[in-house]
Amino acid sequence: MRALKSAVLGGILSLTAMGVSAETFRWASTTDPQTMDPHAVNSAPVLSFLNNVYEGLVRRGKDMSIEASLATSWEPLDGENGWRFTLREGVTFQDGSAFTSEDVMFSYQRASSEAADVRSWFAPVTEVRVVDDYTIDFVTSAPNPLFPDSIANFMILDKSWSEANDAALPARDAENFATMNVNGTGPFTLASRDPGVRTTLTPNANWWDEVDHNISEAVFTPIGNSATGLAALLSGEIDFIQPIPLQDIAQVEGRDGFKVLEGEETRVIMFGFGHEHDTLLYSSDVTDANPFTDPRVRLAAAHALDMASIDRVLFRGKIEAASQLVPAGISGFSESNADRPAFDPARAKELLSEAGYSDGFSFGLKCTNDRYINDEALCRAAASMFAAVGLNAELSTGPVRDYWPQLREDDFDMYLLGWSPGTFDMEHPIRFLLHSQDDERKLGSWNFGNYSNARVDELLPQIQQEIDLAARQSMIDEVVAITQDEVAYIPLYTQPLIWAAKENVDLTQRADNFFLLRWVTVN
Amino acid sequence: MTAFLKKYEGLWLFVHSPAAMVAAFVAALIIIGAVFAPWIALVNPYDLASFSLFDGLLPPVWLEGANPKYLLGTDDQGRDMISSILYGARLSLVIGLSALTIAAVLGVGLGLAAGYYGGRFDAVVMRIADVQLALPAILTALLIDGIARGILPAAIQQDLRVAVLTLAIALSLWVNFARTARASTFVQMNKEYVQAAIMMGQHPLRVMFIHILPNILGPLLVIMTVDLASAILLEATLSFLGIGLPADSPSLGTLIRIGMQFLLSGEWWILWIPTLFLVALVVSINILGDFLRDIFNPRLR
Amino acid sequence: MVYFILKRMVQSVFVMLAVAFLAFSLFRFVGDPITQMTGVETSVTDQERLREELGLNDPFVYQFARFTGDMLRGDFGFSYRTRQPVAEMIASRIPATLELGLVALIISLLVGVPTGVYTALRPRGVLTQTILMTTLVGVSIPTFVIGIILIFIFGVQLGWLPTFGRGGTVQISGWESSLFTIDGWRALLLPAITLGVYQLTLTMRLVRAEMMEVMRSDYIRFAMARGVPMRSLHYKHALANTMVPVITIIGLQFGGVIAFSIVTESVFQWPGMGLLFLESIRFVDIPVMGVYLVVIAFFFVLVNLIVDLLYVAIDPRLRIRDVS
Repeated sequence: MRALKSAVLGGILSLTAMGVSAETFRWASTTDPQTMDPHAVNSAPVLSFLNNVYEGLVRRGKDMSIEASLATSWEPLDGENGWRFTLREGVTFQDGSAFTSEDVMFSYQRASSEAADVRSWFAPVTEVRVVDDYTIDFVTSAPNPLFPDSIANFMILDKSWSEANDAALPARDAENFATMNVNGTGPFTLASRDPGVRTTLTPNANWWDEVDHNISEAVFTPIGNSATGLAALLSGEIDFIQPIPLQDIAQVEGRDGFKVLEGEETRVIMFGFGHEHDTLLYSSDVTDANPFTDPRVRLAAAHALDMASIDRVLFRGKIEAASQLVPAGISGFSESNADRPAFDPARAKELLSEAGYSDGFSFGLKCTNDRYINDEALCRAAASMFAAVGLNAELSTGPVRDYWPQLREDDFDMYLLGWSPGTFDMEHPIRFLLHSQDDERKLGSWNFGNYSNARVDELLPQIQQEIDLAARQSMIDEVVAITQDEVAYIPLYTQPLIWAAKENVDLTQRADNFFLLRWVTVN
Repeated sequence: MTAFLKKYEGLWLFVHSPAAMVAAFVAALIIIGAVFAPWIALVNPYDLASFSLFDGLLPPVWLEGANPKYLLGTDDQGRDMISSILYGARLSLVIGLSALTIAAVLGVGLGLAAGYYGGRFDAVVMRIADVQLALPAILTALLIDGIARGILPAAIQQDLRVAVLTLAIALSLWVNFARTARASTFVQMNKEYVQAAIMMGQHPLRVMFIHILPNILGPLLVIMTVDLASAILLEATLSFLGIGLPADSPSLGTLIRIGMQFLLSGEWWILWIPTLFLVALVVSINILGDFLRDIFNPRLR
Repeated sequence: MVYFILKRMVQSVFVMLAVAFLAFSLFRFVGDPITQMTGVETSVTDQERLREELGLNDPFVYQFARFTGDMLRGDFGFSYRTRQPVAEMIASRIPATLELGLVALIISLLVGVPTGVYTALRPRGVLTQTILMTTLVGVSIPTFVIGIILIFIFGVQLGWLPTFGRGGTVQISGWESSLFTIDGWRALLLPAITLGVYQLTLTMRLVRAEMMEVMRSDYIRFAMARGVPMRSLHYKHALANTMVPVITIIGLQFGGVIAFSIVTESVFQWPGMGLLFLESIRFVDIPVMGVYLVVIAFFFVLVNLIVDLLYVAIDPRLRIRDVS
């Protein structure tokens, strides 16, 4: 009997060892992608999910570097500003139609239409020309060295499929075919879609690239409640979940058969100020002035924060303190300005005295409570630290859906913000957060406090057009130095990325928090 | 005469019922603790300068790594657990009792009037009650919160969060009072003493509040205890869903929501101590409520 | 009687309108839908254009009139978040919530009635006191705490039951049911218990109170004197009379179950209407929120109408005044 058993076992083991068996992979996250249309909403959950189904001219690799995807190569245009992309031949969409430059042109028109939410990516583009079936030119109004990087998530749709199914434009209010159905060139295709409940993907047999995974079916379920999500992982019902709360790391690691993947996201968390506010809105003692217009007061606030303790207690040592608006390692990070104000409450009080506020003052600190990891706890800790130097913060937290409107209406004294550069380059936050507000030219749209410095405004277009990397970096360095001196924002830390999975699953964690199935192996 | 006997009988029963005694004791302890919190507690959890992150995540005193100053440990911000639950109980009770009072006054008032006048007025009140029932407590809380934010000046909004939450909970509870008062009033309206009072020309308000009200108090008192428990639980649920009080002025419900994050992470005390406290409080209220119900219903003895 | 029903139906329409009006007018305070529909890089001009297209800049009265007008014509609009037709979204979620509520109700009855009877008949027993104490504690713990505890004991530690979702469902001409598969029942059990605990306690106490009262009534004593066997007494006479008010209360409570289910669905990720509502709040998905509330209002109004009819039928005293 024993011999028979071991023979059977041996047989089974050898069978599995022979080939990599195809597996069903179940995973979950807190937010369901709200649409299957890659041009309809420019949100990370949507783009991350659709990166498994659709592809763009270029894509980002495991280390975030730009690689060839549907375009095999690209080079700057001769005699005008822009780029020429040479497309990959022999690629077919999931429904069998061939991929040509017609589809790229169509997708460009679709993605830059008024109905698309991703059109800001094409703001620099003045014209797109089809040269032949496998060559296409993107002409830009000014030299734009980062253009290929900026369209890493621009996904190509099949022209004939979209037009045949009435999806030539992304859906605005009512859904259309592309909201629930896909036809991409990517490694997976949609098997079923139940919004908010479950979405299933299966491998695309026609995919042009090498298959690195062993998934036969991938099932995604949104689980909004993090305790439930963790339970689902630990009970074995799902194989992977992103993210898990920091305090559960020890639990997951302590259990056999599970592992935690830790990394740093490219998101920097910071405090912002109302640089143009004449008075504080939420103060009970200073009602005729805004102390935060004085850079010494802002610097005092920065010195009051003990990031080391916050790291240790609130984030279990997982965060990296930030000195500027992008994390170290991102293109454009200013090495020469990599220091942040030290924790120095004595200096903070000194600065406040110099500015005329030796008794401190009260003000309102506005934060979200459901947007960033431990955002509420962070703000409470910060408020407590501010209080220790006399800056009495009245903390107000709320859900993110109310937050942006309040910030847009200038309803704050100091606020919390997290920023992830979409192009993975320092120019991005300069454009959105440091340049003065300019609605016409679409600059400074997230610069709620309207921090304004003429030199910074002058440098931005130069940075955008500079091809020489060294010159570009020195201009960026200058911007960072200026904004640090003036304490435009108080950068705090880089947000950690914490994923959890079963031990037998090999997957790759990317710094933009995108999860790609094509790198998953279930052992 | 009957009221007199009832009073003494109630006391006799109370002293001979161990459950009721224990419940009253626990409730009294919690209430005294809550009322005197500012004097007893080590730390004022609402004063951001009175605690520090360094003391965060300390376990209760019988575990390793504890600081004997904090008997039941600290939460992630460094606040003493005992202080937090005392202040939290205070806030929960304040909210619960205020909400209950508003609901009772509103509900009984409307119910009495509906029962007294009947006809169209009754229909209107009942339909308003339907509207109220149709709006889940969650939404009521959200919406009142929203109006408050839209109407009130920015500076006092934070201070009024408690008031806003209380109002929201009260609005979810008044219908119970109204319906019961109305049904009981209908029954009383047919009684002779009421008919007599009306015929004598007494003012309706006088009839309602001086004559009818004392006779319908029984079931209303029972509802009060049940609803006090409901109010406290409702506040905890709203906090869980993120619509309750913000974390820097925590009630028991908010403390539980914060504690939920630590369910599996090893710092179990941040969740279970406030939960235990809340459950003890609500159980005591429920026991006392049962007791009151039994007193007012002599047929059950 | 017919006149009464008609009158109530007209009033019901007013109720639903009032709910819609209240809810709609206050949606503007729930947040800004546009920022939930667009990404970080969307320019302010594009956001404004979207706002204009969706009619969010129109005066309130205009928006409300459009909303009600559309609903009366059967057009329930499209979700801001997923762009799906709202009617379809809500309809697809109704089976999940109704089944959950129904099973919770059945559990509460199956356990509540017998325990109520038992505790009424043996008021001083040890088991009775234990049951009473346990249920008291059970009803004092917030629903979501019960849910999470159950998930961790039965889902994670013991691994007996699934921790989220509906499990295996079967389509029966448009109604997606989880009652026909073992998997479905396994997934349904924990949420139904969580939801049913409160109902259970209520039912049990009600049955107990009514039973005790009935047992002391004269006609029971006379029946005892006549020598009717105890069992027949308990079940035929006493229980029958007990059930009547219990049934009407249950009708009312079913409405409460639907409301409570929001929290349960959130904890168990149960894809019902409650979860949909919570998510639509998070995303400021106004069309979904509006229709959901009107649907709930309609449902409550219906239940109240039935209960009122039952009340009038049962208790003749209420017929003396013009109850409508």
